[in-house]
Amino acid sequence: MANTTKLNVIYGDETLGLSGPGFHYIFAYDRRGLESLVQYGKEWLYRTPNPAFWRATTDNDRGNGFSTKSASWLGADLFSACTQIDVAVDGQPIQLPIAPVNNQYSDHETATTVAVKFTYTTTTTPATTASVEYIVDGTGKINVNVHYNGATGLPELPAFGLRLVMPTAATGFDYQGLSGETYPDRQAGGRPGTYHVDGLPVTPYMVPQECGMHMKNDWVKVTRATTLNNADPDHQPFSLTIRQTGHPFAFSCLPYTPEELESATHIEELPPVRRTVLTIFGAVRGVGGIDSWGADVEPQYHIAGDIDHDFSFEIAGVTD
Amino acid sequence: MKAEISWLDDPQTFRVNQLPAHSDHRGYATVAEALAKRSSLVQSLDGSWEFSFAKDPQHRPVGFYETDYDRSDFDQLTVPGHIELAGYGQIQYINTTYPWEGKYYRRPAYSMGADRPEKGMFSTDPENTVGAYVKHFTLDTALQNKRVSIEFDGVEQAMYLWLNGQFVGYAEDSFSRSEFDLTPYLQAGDNVLAVEVFKHSTAAYLEDQDMFRFSGIFRSVRLVAKPALHVEDMTIRAGVDDDFVTGDLRVNLKLSAVDKLVGAVNVSLLNDTGEAIWTTENEAAATLDLSATINHVHLWNHHDPYLYQLQVELRDATGELVEVVPYQVGFRRFEMKNKVMELNGQRLILNGVNRHEWDAHRGRAVTQADMDYDQQIFKENHINAVRTCHYPDQDEWYHLCDRNGIYMMAENNLESHGTWQKMGAVEPSYNVPGSLPQWQLAVLDRAKSNYEMFKNHPAVLIWSLGNESYAGDDIAAMDKYYHDVDPTRLTHYEGVCRNRDYADRISDMESMMYDHPDAIEEYLKNDPAKPFVNCEYMHDMGNSLGGMNSYTDLIDKYPMYQGGFIWDYIDQALWVKDEVTGQPVLRYGGDFDDRHANYEFSGDGLLFADRTPKPALQEVDYYYGQHD
Repeated sequence: MANTTKLNVIYGDETLGLSGPGFHYIFAYDRRGLESLVQYGKEWLYRTPNPAFWRATTDNDRGNGFSTKSASWLGADLFSACTQIDVAVDGQPIQLPIAPVNNQYSDHETATTVAVKFTYTTTTTPATTASVEYIVDGTGKINVNVHYNGATGLPELPAFGLRLVMPTAATGFDYQGLSGETYPDRQAGGRPGTYHVDGLPVTPYMVPQECGMHMKNDWVKVTRATTLNNADPDHQPFSLTIRQTGHPFAFSCLPYTPEELESATHIEELPPVRRTVLTIFGAVRGVGGIDSWGADVEPQYHIAGDIDHDFSFEIAGVTD
Repeated sequence: MKAEISWLDDPQTFRVNQLPAHSDHRGYATVAEALAKRSSLVQSLDGSWEFSFAKDPQHRPVGFYETDYDRSDFDQLTVPGHIELAGYGQIQYINTTYPWEGKYYRRPAYSMGADRPEKGMFSTDPENTVGAYVKHFTLDTALQNKRVSIEFDGVEQAMYLWLNGQFVGYAEDSFSRSEFDLTPYLQAGDNVLAVEVFKHSTAAYLEDQDMFRFSGIFRSVRLVAKPALHVEDMTIRAGVDDDFVTGDLRVNLKLSAVDKLVGAVNVSLLNDTGEAIWTTENEAAATLDLSATINHVHLWNHHDPYLYQLQVELRDATGELVEVVPYQVGFRRFEMKNKVMELNGQRLILNGVNRHEWDAHRGRAVTQADMDYDQQIFKENHINAVRTCHYPDQDEWYHLCDRNGIYMMAENNLESHGTWQKMGAVEPSYNVPGSLPQWQLAVLDRAKSNYEMFKNHPAVLIWSLGNESYAGDDIAAMDKYYHDVDPTRLTHYEGVCRNRDYADRISDMESMMYDHPDAIEEYLKNDPAKPFVNCEYMHDMGNSLGGMNSYTDLIDKYPMYQGGFIWDYIDQALWVKDEVTGQPVLRYGGDFDDRHANYEFSGDGLLFADRTPKPALQEVDYYYGQHD
């Protein structure tokens, strides 16, 4: 049965607030993204989520020159800008409701769904676009649709995903997928099941590199026990769940961004664990293994830059 | 005889006064000792030794072996161990080039001509560090009034030995046991043993393995007493008939006596419940050839590593038991049939790994616990084979492989990578050993040491001539040696693929490293002469091991594809104290200011250096499990 709970819509001057029992989300036009994701009083976002275009160079990537060939995606990962924001209410596009357009609204606006879509223009040459659309309903559930526009001339992608950085380090995560760290070309040994991981382990490769990938997941639930909110003395664990919507997804849940991993030559150089970096991937490049001085990842495990890539998932609401 | 430092420079001097290599059996004084595996005839010299370090030969304490030398300024050093890990000498990790790359221009002796002996290269080498070791000992009662030899299981890279001020002998070949007769030099009460260890000699050219470069007495040292009658050597051949039903046991014993070779030799074969199924009694003789037929023999293989026990008991003329030698025996037949390697009539599939000896605290001085753990990892992950890259391992590892049914590619201590591969290209202009007569005896001696020591291990299926040393007459001579002495095994050598002129003379199998799956398939499709083995594949550096099925898929398609050995088993990194936080951290090449270095290239293991498995191990378990 369709959920008929209505969303409260707050047409702010710089933001769009969406709330219901147990949740409150803020899309910020000035921050150009989903700024706040609060469930049961706990903030889940440190900064606005952005498309993920980079992975920390693996030893094999270095050996075969992949990072050199695809280096423009490192810039795109760090510096691609949101160049367009679109809002739709109950499926109908509306004019971006920033001041003074928002003067037409009241303090008791509601909707069944609100969709906010951020379009990013990459820093690559040629440039292309990628978009992230969030569709929120009255339960607080967010359907996320991520799209990459392929463009001729772009190098292969190291990764394509959406990166959510959380304000504090998770105590751990649970997921239904494959055992261990898996990649498209290294997942046959992964046993399907439901797994718990304590903390945010970084696989201790001698030189820090891409790690912690989990392929073929139905869901992942991240659990934290602390916030940055000075008025929140509560240390009871609380969780956020991501679910698949039709297609299993890949994710990694680490304390670092790829750029932080990229910069270290030893694991002890990585900064203290402060945050949680949950990246949901729609496309993962294989790691390869034939050799570490030139052999490419096998072709079927590449991510082409000149074709479109799409993936979707949902951030679970509070009543389901 | 006088010790000459010039031996360091001469590839033709690599063993002086060493006893001949022989089987790795152990003698016990009684049956009870043999059962308990604690021989009263053995006295360990492991532990604390007096030690002095010199940065080069010119600064070494000349004459330190004299009994009246003033060693009051010597330190203490634990044996076994590497000198560098005790804080003396710089740690260095380097792959293909020689450790003096960019510091000294060198060409191996005679490589640029018979008139180019390169005298003084190592004896006056300003970076050839020297360790002077001294150990005092008094013989245990059980060793007194017997012939006594000393066994060095591993000394890197050249050693001179003195006892009570008298020169005993000289050895190279870091990874083979070196044994010397001490009997003429022993005295009642305190004895002063002195070992001078040089980091480099001409052996350096043959020991260019991709690894941390260390020096010192890094494996155990022991005194071994020989009773009045003693088994010097034994060769056990335990085969099976064409129907794989009736075992054929042949035993050759070589005995020695303190004076007259008289007495009795009892030899039994016990099954795994200790029941004797064959016994023979013979008069003692210098050489004894025995044979037996074993009905319904229980064969040895990976899944059922059934071991019988051969028990040799020597009695003197009065009938008193003087020595018991037990040895585990596995009956199996390994052969090439229709260009496919078969074990007991079944096609051999190698689900293998390359294993360097490594312990992140101790370097290559691995412990029994390390070895036991490694065997457990093999068992849990369907790993059925190991290549002892690129040198003979500790003796115990071969016994463990016998007991656990792990097929061994037993490799010589040989890698001369830096003499023929430069900047990644084949460039053998000064390759050793090549076809140089001045280097041939050294590599043949390595082959002989490997064969003699490990010839009785059922686990050893394949002798490997070495790694990445190009190909020439000298390696062809090694191949011939193995075939001459051992009809029960096959030979392996990858380097012949770099010089196909020797294809008929070197290696019973086609071996490649890191060949792409489609290139291997191309070989297999074209009526090849030899079965194919990946001596190294799936380079597991960092986050790797993707696409393994492209190799394992070949197993079911091509009978002549016989699997391979993943590179490699464990990351090589060292625990050190972080200079900033004081916390223990793992460090790799270049982290010790060592230059020229190869940095993280030593991190290719299925295990991290601390022996925790990498995530990729579950993939190995899966694919190796498909053909286990």
